[in-house]
Amino acid sequence: MTAETIIQSLASGLLMGLLYGLIAVGLALIFGLMDVVNFAHGEFLMIAMYATFFLFAFFAIDPLLAAPLVAAALFVFGAVVYLLIVRFAVRAKANAGMVQIFSTFGLAIVMRGLAQFFFTPDYRSVTHSWLGGKTISIAGIFLPVPQLVGALVSIAAFAALYFFINRTDFGRALEATREDAGAVALVGIDKNKVFALGWGLGAALVGLAGAIMAVFFYIYPDVGASFALIAYVTVALGGFGSVFGAFAGGIVVGLVEASTALILPPSLKSVGIYAVYLLVVFIRPRGLFGSI
Amino acid sequence: MTVTRRNVLLGATATAALLPIAARAQTAEVVIGIIYPFSGASAQQGVDAQKAYEIAAEIINNKYDFDLPLAKDAGLAGLGGAKIRLVFADHQADPQKGRAETERLITQEKVCAVIGTYQSAVAVTVSQICERYSIPFISADNSSPSLHRRGLKFYFRAAPHDEMYSAAMFDFFDAMKKKGTRIETLSLFHEDTIFGTDSGNAQLKLAGDRGYKVLADIKYRSNSPSLSAEVQQLKAANADVLMPSSYTTDGILLVKTMAELGYKPNAIVAQDAGFSEKALYDAVGDKLEGVISRGTFSLDLATKRPMVGKINAMFKEKSGKDFNDLTSRQFMGLIVMADAINRAKSTDGDKIREALVATDIPGEQTIMPWKRIKFDEMGQNNDADPVLLQYVGGKFVTIAPPQAAVAEAVWPMK
Repeated sequence: MTAETIIQSLASGLLMGLLYGLIAVGLALIFGLMDVVNFAHGEFLMIAMYATFFLFAFFAIDPLLAAPLVAAALFVFGAVVYLLIVRFAVRAKANAGMVQIFSTFGLAIVMRGLAQFFFTPDYRSVTHSWLGGKTISIAGIFLPVPQLVGALVSIAAFAALYFFINRTDFGRALEATREDAGAVALVGIDKNKVFALGWGLGAALVGLAGAIMAVFFYIYPDVGASFALIAYVTVALGGFGSVFGAFAGGIVVGLVEASTALILPPSLKSVGIYAVYLLVVFIRPRGLFGSI
Repeated sequence: MTVTRRNVLLGATATAALLPIAARAQTAEVVIGIIYPFSGASAQQGVDAQKAYEIAAEIINNKYDFDLPLAKDAGLAGLGGAKIRLVFADHQADPQKGRAETERLITQEKVCAVIGTYQSAVAVTVSQICERYSIPFISADNSSPSLHRRGLKFYFRAAPHDEMYSAAMFDFFDAMKKKGTRIETLSLFHEDTIFGTDSGNAQLKLAGDRGYKVLADIKYRSNSPSLSAEVQQLKAANADVLMPSSYTTDGILLVKTMAELGYKPNAIVAQDAGFSEKALYDAVGDKLEGVISRGTFSLDLATKRPMVGKINAMFKEKSGKDFNDLTSRQFMGLIVMADAINRAKSTDGDKIREALVATDIPGEQTIMPWKRIKFDEMGQNNDADPVLLQYVGGKFVTIAPPQAAVAEAVWPMK
């Protein structure tokens, strides 16, 4: 194993990790806001990828330009999912936890089924784009441009999110609702509005990730499943409810995955992720940056 | 309610009246179970397979002037012109779901035979259930060599398995070496279910026997979100030939990642699966000029055997795709099964099995470049000769074995 291989692995791991963080942050945001785990998170990613693909296939819009459009569309979609489904699920009188799980889980199955019915199970991909297939090589280390741009978008998104949560009225309302949903009603904040916007924001972030991913990944109705699993681990690792925990968790997952593949046979590379996850759960059950 | 004599009589009469209808319905159609992934990550294979089976049933149930078993009559002559009816079941690429669905096909749908399954891992459980119920199973497109070595009496495979395919690859390497091409080192890259594992083992053994050095033997997790670590190892090894055994999803990601990490092997010789799928070439075909894949089917055969072109045209009209290595084997799977049922003159599992054992179809009466279809005592057809195909200018040309080749191999690939 040469130094070059190690640096290359860590670089790829870091780039992938930043993307994992961007995929996971929507999940962390929604969970932190209202203690609901969105089991359809992977399917949100899937429709974002399909939206990017269709914008490319029918209107020849490059995924980079499509990204804001897709994020906006997913924002609306996320808010609608809250208003039509989750709002009612959290009101359940008995077994509220189960009702929440099954409502979003059911949504995931429906979305997957509809995607298979309308989009067919064929594997799609964005065949040519401004970023696709380009690589930057620095001293023998290859950095694929799509992942590089994805990592930059991820960093920018987290920076914007930080500013948004700490510096704007809506961000403060979001934080306040998270702290005590009952008390905010007394000062005139509409809980439903804040939750709907929170769902919209969470979905928009995964939409952004989906648009970038469409450049270098294949697209099919089940594509969300493998990423969603990593997103759950990322969120749990970084700390449930902590938006920036997702950022750190993503990077940790990316790096651990890449370095495990250096030491163990690649078919066991997810073992490293889950081993670190178990370790964190044992030593610090609330996750690295968890506040709950 | 008291049961009077009249009630009993009435019931008996009604039952008796229904019986002949039921009996007639039995002979009018022969129900065959087709089990594939119709949802999940490999749903596309199921959707394509369904069309291949429907074309085969169409040819069996109606009159066509092809030199195929059963094409010339409508339905099965041995069962008084009974028609084939297909029942499709979805195993979602999950061996346990495959087990449950096969059980349902046999007990609820009353199928007399089962054909499947794309994934070898699912064929393992499906064939076990068929064995238990004495229902014949044809492995139309599974290629793991261990499948027919489990001592099952109701398991049959007309197509080659991965040891035969891999032997064809190494025969080709030997021939290329004789012509002065440098082929000394190999990199194996295979997924971690039974298909990839069996294929990798077969290739590792053959490489040892024939004196090729394996620089990297990488087993990866199927449907991985990223393959960059794996591709780096392949790149570091930089062998003369890269030999992937991958399904479509991983194949697309492999080729994309190779391009991103600047790895360009001299040659890729693939164990079919993803590398015979249109979806893969739609996605990354521009990076695959000159890739070689093993196969059992070649459209080049249409020049020698015109019915191959005509049947392909029928399939293309229905599916929008040409026959590929998988769909052609699926098509033949139903033809072979229906031919056996026709000769058995019965839908009884044991009788169909006896007829399958006696199968002897000359190669000219298939759409494949095979010598013939005749099963050995383990249910494997050893006369199914594989071919090697090279992707040149957007289509596949046959480059090996010499008797089937229509062009010289382009080496190294572009």
